[in-house]
Amino acid sequence: MEQIINQRTLIFLLSSIGLITLPHAFHVPVPIISFFFVLLIWRAIGIWRPAYLPNQFLVFLLLLSGIALLVIMHQGVFGRDAGTAIFVTALGLKLLEIKTQRDLYLITYLAFIVAASQFLYVQNILMAGYTLLVCISLLGTLLCINSGSLGNWQSLKVAGKLLAQALPLTIILFIFFPRLEAPHWSFLQEDNKAMTGLSDTLEPGSISQLGLSGERVFRAKFSGAIPPNEQRYWRGPVFSYTDGKKWEQTKNTYFKRYLDKIKFFGDAYQYKILMEPQSKNWVFALEMPAAFEWPLYENGHHQLLTSESPNKRAEYDISSYVNYNTGYITKTELSENLQLPKPPESRVKDLVKQLGGFTEKPETYINHLFLHFRQNKFYYTLMPPLMAENPIETFLFDTRAGFCGHYATAFVYLMRVARIPARVVSGYQGGEYNETGGFIEVRQANAHAWAEVWLSGKGWVRYDPTTAVAPERVEQDVNIEQQIANNVVSFAPVQLDSQTLFLLKRARNLWSSVDYSWQRWIVNYDRQNQASFLSKLGISGFKKMFYWLLGLLAAVIFVFALMLLRKQKTVLDVAQIYYLQACAKLAKLGLIRAENEGANDFLVRVTEQQPQVGLAFTQITRLYVSLRYTKEPAPECLDQLQTAVSGFHPKG
Amino acid sequence: MHHQTLNQVIQSANSIILGKEQQIRLSLCCLLSGGHLLIEDIPGVGKTTLAHTLAKLMGLHYQRIQFTSDLLPADIIGATIYNPEEHQFSFHQGAIFNQMVLADEINRATPKAQSALLEAMEEQQVTVEGHTYPLPQPFFVIATQNPSHQLGTFPLPESQLDRFLMRIELGYPNHDAERELLSGTNRHKLIATLEAQLPTEKLLLVQQAAKEVHVSSALLDYVQALISFTRESDEYHTGLSPRAGLALLSAAKSWAYMQQRDAVIPEDVQAVLGPVAGHRLRAGHTNSENIVAPLLAQVAIP
Repeated sequence: MEQIINQRTLIFLLSSIGLITLPHAFHVPVPIISFFFVLLIWRAIGIWRPAYLPNQFLVFLLLLSGIALLVIMHQGVFGRDAGTAIFVTALGLKLLEIKTQRDLYLITYLAFIVAASQFLYVQNILMAGYTLLVCISLLGTLLCINSGSLGNWQSLKVAGKLLAQALPLTIILFIFFPRLEAPHWSFLQEDNKAMTGLSDTLEPGSISQLGLSGERVFRAKFSGAIPPNEQRYWRGPVFSYTDGKKWEQTKNTYFKRYLDKIKFFGDAYQYKILMEPQSKNWVFALEMPAAFEWPLYENGHHQLLTSESPNKRAEYDISSYVNYNTGYITKTELSENLQLPKPPESRVKDLVKQLGGFTEKPETYINHLFLHFRQNKFYYTLMPPLMAENPIETFLFDTRAGFCGHYATAFVYLMRVARIPARVVSGYQGGEYNETGGFIEVRQANAHAWAEVWLSGKGWVRYDPTTAVAPERVEQDVNIEQQIANNVVSFAPVQLDSQTLFLLKRARNLWSSVDYSWQRWIVNYDRQNQASFLSKLGISGFKKMFYWLLGLLAAVIFVFALMLLRKQKTVLDVAQIYYLQACAKLAKLGLIRAENEGANDFLVRVTEQQPQVGLAFTQITRLYVSLRYTKEPAPECLDQLQTAVSGFHPKG
Repeated sequence: MHHQTLNQVIQSANSIILGKEQQIRLSLCCLLSGGHLLIEDIPGVGKTTLAHTLAKLMGLHYQRIQFTSDLLPADIIGATIYNPEEHQFSFHQGAIFNQMVLADEINRATPKAQSALLEAMEEQQVTVEGHTYPLPQPFFVIATQNPSHQLGTFPLPESQLDRFLMRIELGYPNHDAERELLSGTNRHKLIATLEAQLPTEKLLLVQQAAKEVHVSSALLDYVQALISFTRESDEYHTGLSPRAGLALLSAAKSWAYMQQRDAVIPEDVQAVLGPVAGHRLRAGHTNSENIVAPLLAQVAIP
């Protein structure tokens, strides 16, 4: 039985399966993926040395060890990870018992499932492209199994053609097939996976870990005006309570203000926010958000949150005003935002007194404080010295070096000492404008912390003490590439004099915009988007959608059938395909072969009009004529013709 | 080696019939395919000279029959005559018992006489009073006819035109050829000086070699496309018959052989298409090239 499966097919199959499983190395636990690849290599060795293949007893033992591995790693068969691991293990084990052609089919279909399961983890464009490519190779394997006469390349070519033919059907199914609601799939998603993001407490130092990450957090696409960089404050959690080291959100975040609603002035910014998967349900709106829709809601600190699971990409429409007045302060708010962990040290009080905190108006005091930061050798660094005890005092009087978190917390602390309500706001600042895609892209490196002070008559007013020491941090675009590359933090204005850096940036922008469209239109195409997209086309309701789906599918199949029928009339042989390619190249020079013109006649005409081209075309014609019309053309003629045609570049 | 001989034949014929190389090649091609040739044109353009020259160059026994309205079948095929000395009947062979027969002005004879010739052409044998007499080998008929609109003609019916592999027209000579003709020596004297360059045994070899020229399926596709076009298109009343298809193929093979190729290519088919198909598609018209022009233009080479 073994003999009917030829070596070439096996090599093809094993390499396809190796490629299919490769991306799973990132998701499936190392022992299981190693187990799989050991089995794969074992089988590969078996191609040349069949004696080394395990016997039935050994296969049984391997099966047991596979099950044991699964149980140890996943404690069950439910959930995305366990399911994927089962398929990977089963695929590996099945490889060891290829006996009949049927086994080959089974393995190939199993491999398709494993390829598809990859999308449960990664849905980006690159992975989709990769999976498509390996699917071609897998289809090629199937072709190889079914028709031994096809060469490897030919199989791949035919497989590629098959996929290309499937493309219109895929597109129709993608657009019109009813989307499954997420809850049906949710058992496949693991919620407890930690994803990076802002933390829900602030301890100066926690942001430094994010400082150099280029990971994208969200993108905002504005319709109309785009806010200048110094206005791009994307609001995250607000921290009011502190124990002296750590800052936390207050418990009663969700109080409602009934009496006095926030007032907005000026023009609104309209934008869509496309959030990357997060661990928290925070949505970072431009300060201050005014209008938004379900599933978004606002807490008492004007922070937007989503009521949907944040671990997938989501898009929201928001409008914000940068000029606002939050109005009065409640009693709870007042007490929460004056809270101090312990009575301040005397040197702190002295400083506040010296800056006019107890006597001057709050605005004057704040100006003095900013001046103090600026004039007393405070400087900005993402690698501050450790401040274990009394971090604020240490920062203010000894080290005088820190990043936004240090400045914001110290600022708020000094405000509260002067009995001015103040709080720390975390979020993101800035973001890079992508011209190609027309959106602002915000990354982890844009994480920031600033302060809000409640001033009578003005409400909560934003003060960013970091600007006192590093105004570039806010005013300029941060050159993230450079910093990540050099691991050096500098907020010097972006230097674009270096051509490579410029091109790099351009390329990244372009890619980012392609990726944005991919996420926006492909991955995010859920039931809601589908409904709105189809209703734009005038198709509303499930019934109508279904009819369209069936109608279009029938139309595409009909067109293909017609094409097939037509094609059967004129089956082109390979030599003719090459010859027609050469003719197509000539046609660009205006030398168009008439349909009823024989190859030799055409050559004569070409030579008359363009002797140089005719010279080059002579060999092609000779080879073509001999391949197509002579009794037994030399076998190497076809290759010669192919080389001649591919090297044929006629110039007028 | 045969190719050289063929070229010599063509050159020699060229020196007699001036400026008509294409017609000479076609005639030779027709003879190589073992087919009969019909030359249609007005009197005096060299039809007879061409036939005579070819016969002479091939060293064939040559006989001319002048077709007139009073020509009887017996004049062509022969008759059984009583021999009083031997007291028995004996068969006297007619003019047709020659390797090459020039049937001059074939359409001036009555249909009865015409069909006697045409039957012999088809069957390569003559049956008189129960006795069958085979015709010599090789056996060629070169017939000439005046255009049908001339007075006193009995046009050949389609079924009989079909017996001819090719029909060619000679046309007037061009200016230079005409001058040379007028100033040169008498053509008949020149023909008398010709020597046989393609003797019978060599001719048979060449015919055999031409039959072995390869025809690929791609070429058959083209031939079939041509045939089915004539049957389906509105251009033609009747399409080409299967016999016409075979004739086209065999002529194309000989043409390819004359072009020193071992396989037929579409150009060969195109070259012989007019002479082979013209008289089968439209009997009444003379100009074969015009008749097949839409066929050539509209059928793509697959």
